Amino acid sequence: MTTQTWNRFWGSTFVKAPLRNGVGRYVQQLQRITFKFCKTHGCSQGMREYIEKELIEFARVNPGVVVYLKPRRHRSPCLKAEYLNGGEEYISCHRMTNEDIVKWVEYLRTRSGYPVERLRKYQHTDHPSIQGAWTPWIHRDPLVNIAEYPIEELSAAFKTEKTATDEVLELFEKQKLSGEVDVS
Amino acid sequence: MSVAKRVQQWATFGRMWYLYDAKWQNPLDSADKIKHYLAGSHKPIYHPLSDCGDHVVVINSHDIALPGDEWEKRVYFHHTGYAGGATWTLAWELHKTDSTMILRKAVYNKLDGNLLRRGRMARLHIFPDDKIPDKILENVSAQLRQLRLVPRRLDHYPQEVVHNFPKLFDWPEEHVIR
Repeated sequence: MTTQTWNRFWGSTFVKAPLRNGVGRYVQQLQRITFKFCKTHGCSQGMREYIEKELIEFARVNPGVVVYLKPRRHRSPCLKAEYLNGGEEYISCHRMTNEDIVKWVEYLRTRSGYPVERLRKYQHTDHPSIQGAWTPWIHRDPLVNIAEYPIEELSAAFKTEKTATDEVLELFEKQKLSGEVDVS
Repeated sequence: MSVAKRVQQWATFGRMWYLYDAKWQNPLDSADKIKHYLAGSHKPIYHPLSDCGDHVVVINSHDIALPGDEWEKRVYFHHTGYAGGATWTLAWELHKTDSTMILRKAVYNKLDGNLLRRGRMARLHIFPDDKIPDKILENVSAQLRQLRLVPRRLDHYPQEVVHNFPKLFDWPEEHVIR
């Protein structure tokens, strides 16, 4: 799938945190988590085991999270998480073991509630440049502000090597200094 | 966006006007240099999706110098679309008709073949001599360097410089200077 096709369906975003969360303080974004399961069916066995062993500890450690249990007959188990920004997340826990559910609950607990999207960049800064953004006038000689164009010196190519004429003139100057030729 | 940020944006993406003197310059090599300025790829902020190309004003396009026998051998092809509508124009013929065309076509061919090409060409202003309209000259704020030195003819030197140039050899007695 090309990036264009991917973006058409899934979008893309930059790295972001709600209200600079985690800088100085952390606000729990997960507000409510619902465990839906069946009391008798085999596909909910891992979920029932989680509820017996782990759920009390989870609710004790996270007092800011409302935990709901919703038993329903002969339907497969799932997790439903709701977040502070109104985001929702649904995870099917069909035939999952206790350990899997521990990991998925931890995943939901640490989410921000924003949808999962491709990141355009893996870093973000509020201050992209300390020295200031580039402009066409950076490192330009201020003399050009009052210049009258066209200017011969700014236009002519740099002379990289001496021409034969220059060589001859240089030899002539040397000869004049050593007194070999009559200058007059 | 705050006022400072807004001005920052204007300063960063402001269009520059560059002046280029095409006298005695190879138009094909010059096009290689000019295309970067038209597309904006000489800037550190360049990105293919951002519109950051500059204007280039070219003067003295009448005095371009094609290398070797290109004036006779270089052919510009045009087809009107009708049967028998093909024409082949030699470079010297085209230059006689419109002395900006060779440089314009050279730059056009060197630019990327995408939808931005016509817009970039519109920012190229070519003048056959060194007379620029004031409306354009007042925008010019920088100059591009030529690629090679402009040769200087003997009759362009002052008389005393020619006179004082060291004499390298004597003509033979029977030599006739015409």
